[in-house]
Amino acid sequence: MDEPAGGSVPPLTIDGHWAFDYQYFAGAAASRFFAGLAARRIMGSRCPQCARVLVPARAFCDACFVETTDWVQVSPHGTLETFTILTTSFPGLPEPPLVVGYVALEGASTAVLNFVDGIDLTDPDAAGARLLQRPRVTARFRDSCQGRITDFVFTLDEPA
Amino acid sequence: MRPVYLHGSAVSSTWRDASRSLTDLIFDCVSSALRQAGVTAADLGAVVLAAHDLVDGRGLTSMVTAPAAATYLKDETRLGDDGALAFVLGDARVRSGSVGTCLVAAWGRASEGPVDEIAHALFDPFTARPLALTEIAVSGLRAARCLGDYPGYGRWRDEAAARRGPRPADPARTPAAAWPLRGGELPVWADLVAAAVLSSSPGQVRVAGVGMSTEPYDLGDRDLTGLPALRAASAQALTAAGVDAAEVDVLELDGLTLFDEALAAEAVGAAARGEGMTILASGDRVNPDGGYAAGYCAPAMGLVRIARAASRLRDGQGRDGRVALATGSSVVAAQVQAAVVLERTHATQDADGRQTTQDTQDAEGA
Repeated sequence: MDEPAGGSVPPLTIDGHWAFDYQYFAGAAASRFFAGLAARRIMGSRCPQCARVLVPARAFCDACFVETTDWVQVSPHGTLETFTILTTSFPGLPEPPLVVGYVALEGASTAVLNFVDGIDLTDPDAAGARLLQRPRVTARFRDSCQGRITDFVFTLDEPA
Repeated sequence: MRPVYLHGSAVSSTWRDASRSLTDLIFDCVSSALRQAGVTAADLGAVVLAAHDLVDGRGLTSMVTAPAAATYLKDETRLGDDGALAFVLGDARVRSGSVGTCLVAAWGRASEGPVDEIAHALFDPFTARPLALTEIAVSGLRAARCLGDYPGYGRWRDEAAARRGPRPADPARTPAAAWPLRGGELPVWADLVAAAVLSSSPGQVRVAGVGMSTEPYDLGDRDLTGLPALRAASAQALTAAGVDAAEVDVLELDGLTLFDEALAAEAVGAAARGEGMTILASGDRVNPDGGYAAGYCAPAMGLVRIARAASRLRDGQGRDGRVALATGSSVVAAQVQAAVVLERTHATQDADGRQTTQDTQDAEGA
């Protein structure tokens, strides 16, 4: 017997889950950059056309679309250009609240992202107001470096 | 080159409607756009779709969802990018003369997946994902820079947010904040579908100009508050349309948060540098439907904004003005921008008095 389209059955909902393992290949330039971090050095690559020093080092300058040439070690000291205080928790990452920020390191033409540690986040507005002043920061390497972006964090040169 | 007209458009905004599948939502919205344009699926020469596998939770999602967008035995193009870019491609198909009529559709259903985790997975696994970056976090980075650089952002943010009206109480619809962003400045997640029908046949809304531009991937190499790609895309669109930014009456600007909308207003020339928040606080020229707070889910938003702009031109009977600029931005962190200039023509509705734009809003919607 034919039935009309639709009907009044309870709507069906099912669970779904994606969990795939990937292996990402960093390539030669990024591998060299991360090897530099393992040796406690922050390396940039210079564009032969615009002369900018790109940090993290990369194989090509996307503005000029040419391969980078020279490798340059940049200073661990710089200025916190901008930041945000994160409140989202992700598996395997440090528990929030966390400060991440872009820092313009001396000798670099681009800013680099990392955690900013040592900030009292009891009062986020007070912490934020301090960080909005673009304080000077320094990259501090961990005791055990593994060639990852998390080998270093930034800390304020003048603690709040 | 042939002229291009936007004949029908529809936006569907709902939330967790278990009685309808994603394909149901797409079918309904596309059907509405076709109906309002006065055409059927058989009239379409091409279809351009914008969808994201991660957002939809379906590998190669358009294989599953495209049939609901009238693609059966059609010339179909699938983009993993914002709906405004799909619109630009659809415009090119008609303008070039390769097809006479083209459907553009885009969607994103936030209620089916973990939005924060999806936004985190989009980022580079070497330099950004280990640092907990998400799309909202990037908006937080932009917002902090604005507050540091431009006094008007701090002065006017509350008033601008208050204009966006009440928000749904369901906490699942608002992402976790990233300081300095606050509750009313954050997007309201929604299940969104947008569709538009483009044709070379004269109609009430002409596509006067389009533009696109791309920034570097690396956020440390970007001007986070200057939005140079949006400046370039909107300049292209305005130049193609032969109008100046000051001549734009209607602004529909895609932005994930209040601050992103304010920066977009500056980038398209609607406000001076540092004055974007002031514009949002002082009137309803930008996104009067509520923008980010009226329902948000990538990658539908650019096409939503275009449909809203067309609606304001057409259904507003010219009250809002004659020229509209709509924009759409892609993940990751608005790397790719598209801008579209629409112009109200003097054409009238057809003999049946059909409305050519219709918004379908679920009772539980944003």
